[in-house]
Amino acid sequence: MVYYITTLLVYGGVDAIACLGLSQQFGIAGVTNFGFIIFQAAGAYTAGVLSLPSDSANGGFQSYIGGLSLPFPLPWIGAAIVGGLLAIPFTAIVGKRLRGDFAAVGLLVTAVMFNLLVNNYVPLLNGAAGLSLVPSPLQSAINPYSSGYQWGYSAAAVILAFVTYRFLRRITNSPYGRTLRAMRDNDVVADSLGKNLRDLRTSSLVIGGAIAGLSGGILVGFINLWDPQAWGYAETIVLFAAVIIGGLGNHRGAVLGAILVPLSFEEATRYIPSIPNEPGLVPALQWVVIGVLIVTFLWFRPQGILPERRRVILGDRASAGGEVAGEALAPAATSASGESSTARAGVEVISATIGDPREPMAIDGRRPPFTADVILDCEGLSKSFDGVQAVDDVSMSFLRGKLTGIIGPNGAGKSTVLAILAGTLVPTAGRIHFRGEDITGLPAYRRARLGLVRTFQLASEFKRLTVMENLMAAVPDQRGETFRGAFLGRRYWGAQERDARDRAAMMLERFGLSALGDRYAGDLSGGQRRLVEIMRALMAEPEALLLDEPMAGVHPRLAHQIGMQLVALCESGITVIMVEHELSIMDEFCDPVIVMAEGRVLAEGDMAALRSNAEVVDAYLVG
Amino acid sequence: MNVLATSLFVESIGFGLITASVLAIAAVGFTLQFAVTNVLNLAYGAVMIVAAYVGYVVNQAGVSVWIGALAAIAAGALLSLLLNSCVYRPFQRRGAPPVSLVIVSLGMLLILEFGTQAWAGPTNVSYSMNQGATLTLGSIVLTVAQIAIIAISVVVMGLVHVLIRYTRLGKAMRATAANRDLARNCGIQTDRVVTTTWLVSGALCGLAGAVFAMNSGTFGATSTDLFLVLILAAVFLGGPGQPYGAMLGALVIGVATEVSASIVVADYKDVIAFIILLAMLVVRPNGLLGARA
Amino acid sequence: MSAEASAAGGPIGAVQGVSVRTVDLVAGYDSRPVLHGVSIAVDPGEVVSIVGANGSGKSTLLKGIVGIVEVLSGSVFVGDTEVTGWRPDRIARMGVGYVPQVDDVFAPLTVRENLEMGGYLLKSREVAANIERVLSVFPQLGRMLGRRAGKLSGGERKMLAMGRALVVRPGLVVLDEPTANLAPAVARSVLQEHVSSLASTGASVLIVEQRAKAVLEISDRTYVLAGGQLRMEGTPSELAVSAEFVDSFLGGTGGAAREGREDTTTD
Repeated sequence: MVYYITTLLVYGGVDAIACLGLSQQFGIAGVTNFGFIIFQAAGAYTAGVLSLPSDSANGGFQSYIGGLSLPFPLPWIGAAIVGGLLAIPFTAIVGKRLRGDFAAVGLLVTAVMFNLLVNNYVPLLNGAAGLSLVPSPLQSAINPYSSGYQWGYSAAAVILAFVTYRFLRRITNSPYGRTLRAMRDNDVVADSLGKNLRDLRTSSLVIGGAIAGLSGGILVGFINLWDPQAWGYAETIVLFAAVIIGGLGNHRGAVLGAILVPLSFEEATRYIPSIPNEPGLVPALQWVVIGVLIVTFLWFRPQGILPERRRVILGDRASAGGEVAGEALAPAATSASGESSTARAGVEVISATIGDPREPMAIDGRRPPFTADVILDCEGLSKSFDGVQAVDDVSMSFLRGKLTGIIGPNGAGKSTVLAILAGTLVPTAGRIHFRGEDITGLPAYRRARLGLVRTFQLASEFKRLTVMENLMAAVPDQRGETFRGAFLGRRYWGAQERDARDRAAMMLERFGLSALGDRYAGDLSGGQRRLVEIMRALMAEPEALLLDEPMAGVHPRLAHQIGMQLVALCESGITVIMVEHELSIMDEFCDPVIVMAEGRVLAEGDMAALRSNAEVVDAYLVG
Repeated sequence: MNVLATSLFVESIGFGLITASVLAIAAVGFTLQFAVTNVLNLAYGAVMIVAAYVGYVVNQAGVSVWIGALAAIAAGALLSLLLNSCVYRPFQRRGAPPVSLVIVSLGMLLILEFGTQAWAGPTNVSYSMNQGATLTLGSIVLTVAQIAIIAISVVVMGLVHVLIRYTRLGKAMRATAANRDLARNCGIQTDRVVTTTWLVSGALCGLAGAVFAMNSGTFGATSTDLFLVLILAAVFLGGPGQPYGAMLGALVIGVATEVSASIVVADYKDVIAFIILLAMLVVRPNGLLGARA
Repeated sequence: MSAEASAAGGPIGAVQGVSVRTVDLVAGYDSRPVLHGVSIAVDPGEVVSIVGANGSGKSTLLKGIVGIVEVLSGSVFVGDTEVTGWRPDRIARMGVGYVPQVDDVFAPLTVRENLEMGGYLLKSREVAANIERVLSVFPQLGRMLGRRAGKLSGGERKMLAMGRALVVRPGLVVLDEPTANLAPAVARSVLQEHVSSLASTGASVLIVEQRAKAVLEISDRTYVLAGGQLRMEGTPSELAVSAEFVDSFLGGTGGAAREGREDTTTD
């Protein structure tokens, strides 16, 4: 009986640790690592070959590398280290801009290949027969079969599971965790806000790999053997099922999933009698049930039993905000006469809650002030897609502190130029300079860190982060954003986080959206999301802001208010470059205005001058 | 290379042709499913083995395996159709991202493969068939049955070619795969086209299962696990969604794996397929015949 | 039809033009209306254009007619048949040809194959002859039959897109901003030559355009859309002298609320 409970506890602990590691990779960081089982296997093998004597011992019937007879706890530490290191080459598949499902298949195939190799290449890890007679930790000091030892082992497994749980919670409930989730929700945007995606993914894989490796080490010390049968592709699917059923992005859900799926299934076989003539029936049916569970959960409850928690940051402060600007933006069923009465009422409230635009936005002092006139310029920019010339030899220079507008008909190449300036697209030719430096070769996240930030035309909020989290994610140079920072804990990054929170709260008040601070950004109306995007870009402390149709879907009165805010920004030294269709906005706020058509710059000047330019009028305004 | 090695090499080309033949039928079916639905159906290998078992049951009733193959074809077609209509399409209508669909297909893989194992038991079975006389052409040694399989494969490839290039359905399939909305504007009933494509590709899947079983000697519920990797390698080499690419990929992968078996130890012969698949994913995910990414 | 257009009338042979009209059409995406009750009509053989600022609902109106976008209320008639809520392929079989603004050709297929796809609804023996007729309307296409459609230039692609729609000799051709992404000179030729050729076959033409002045030159009638509603309507000569017309393009007030503005396509 004792053995039964202790075995249950050890397996439970090991499964919980493995599921936590996968939940971190898949649920938090959004990496669909179908090769996960390899890390657990590598950990088990490592612990095995580190604790086994050299392969000539024990009658020499096994052959494997290593055999160092290392004492506890070195094999377990080794297991975690190898699991983590093994993750590094995996970033080659995950890091590239590969379709999610293609990458997942690549990883799955890698897992199968490793299994094949280890299975067949005997000198490595004893091939199909696997490692046996793996010593239990401390077995020379204590009898591994004594109940004391068994309880001790169970305690170790459970404690380590608990430690892993606390460790992951610590690093997830930190700016680093928030950044990982942002990357999961929309990696392109995270990139444009200055997040180094490659480093983030690598760190996720390494942490998850180390945790998986540790779980393997613990297991092999208990069952004293390990062979390729224990880690086929099917075992990875079991872990995925556990994490999906338990709840993606929720660490308690991962533990719950571990108990419900791998553990319960192991135990269930004990109680279901084996059908006499069909020894393989019950195990096979187990797999069928797991498959059914995966499909039904993904259909009926994809968020799992314990879904990801919504992080409430503002709490009571939010509800004190009163009327919400956004509500007035939601399209009311308008009558033929135009604005409905509710819209009009909402408009009044907007004017009251938006802060005085003449209050300057602080520019941080992180970078040395740039004083030359032209802060951003490009020359000879060209970009073609599949033979279509979207941008053709475009040269522009943008004066510091000015609000420049770029207009032009559909297909003029305005958004393409913006994307090239921001670094989201790579030009076929041309050079770009920012603050006097050539940034042509820099990726988007580096440009963001230099102070060149963009917004996007289509919905680009981090949907499963709250509005406050969206804003706080954009703050640059956060101490808590690296793994090390997260590990050091709240004492290290707490003060900076409070500042970020206050800044974000003020930003929300300024734009009249305080009541929405703790709502998921994905639940907001179109106009509200647009505002969140602008606010988020401002949180990134830009020196030059590239806005891609910021007024699209925004009520005219609010658009006017936003325009005033932008002017205030320029007065405090920030440069704003805006692609827009709304000519009234150009009229009121932008000078100069650049007109593009068919991928080329057509003219530049203020709107009055452009309107009298026959070429411009012809090409764009009235056809 | 000494004479023995050379003849081993040539002999392995013969084996390679057989593998390529089975692989071609399977890979073309798989890639057609991807072309019209944009889904990587990882349960494909499981459908193959179910069809193989259907052929086995018919065979056990005293019917020739070649007739049994017809039953396998029907089973593959029906099962694939149900898979798309009842599972993949509903998930897609809901807006599930491609990664979710892969996980769903893995779930279906478990259900089909281990459901078959639960029914069939853990011991492998084999078709009762007469492999026929062994024919020798130089160093290439093949049985009559194997030559028949190669011939069937060639004929099927020809039929697929005719279907895609010359029939109305083939045109509709190509249009639906290239631009579904525009295809509807041409008057094509894309829903029907998708359904028919899954029937056709399912038939190919069933046939592949039958010839796989014929060629394997013994088989069991999990026998197609590694074969699925070969299918993926062939598909991604030629380009996902490209039927001619799948044929080319099948030829290369089929021959490469068997030839590598003559050079390296036979246990590792599938490793070359893995390497090619990973290389394509990292370097050129749209395949040799697809557009540059 | 302008005099030049009928003089240029092609050898495609007469087609029976078909009428189309909408009655109080309310349409939009995700149940959010972009069009708020629009009624337009195109008589057989007419060339009617719809102009308006970005986000006014022009594209949504077309998509509602050909069945791509959800119709929330109101109705659409092609000829005397009500086609509200029909699937796009069913509407196509009524003789409605559609040239979308983007994704307008089958990129991996050749020019010839694109045209053949256009003739999907025809009997096989008619396809070749119809393609020949289209090639006589767009002779440049004849010189690039073997080229992959994805490799064509903007103007060539649009020509192919129109040619593809013409193969079935539709009674109604619906075009969504055919000159978007085209250089001004090419745009002019697309409108004045190609679209006019379409009209000369006798088909009705419903065209949405941003280049208001240019499209006015080839239209019989024009509607002006703003904020998802009809703002003005008239013949080109009536509108050209209307100050309100010019005003609605040069920005300023923008008119009715911009709620639920349609997604403008990216550059």
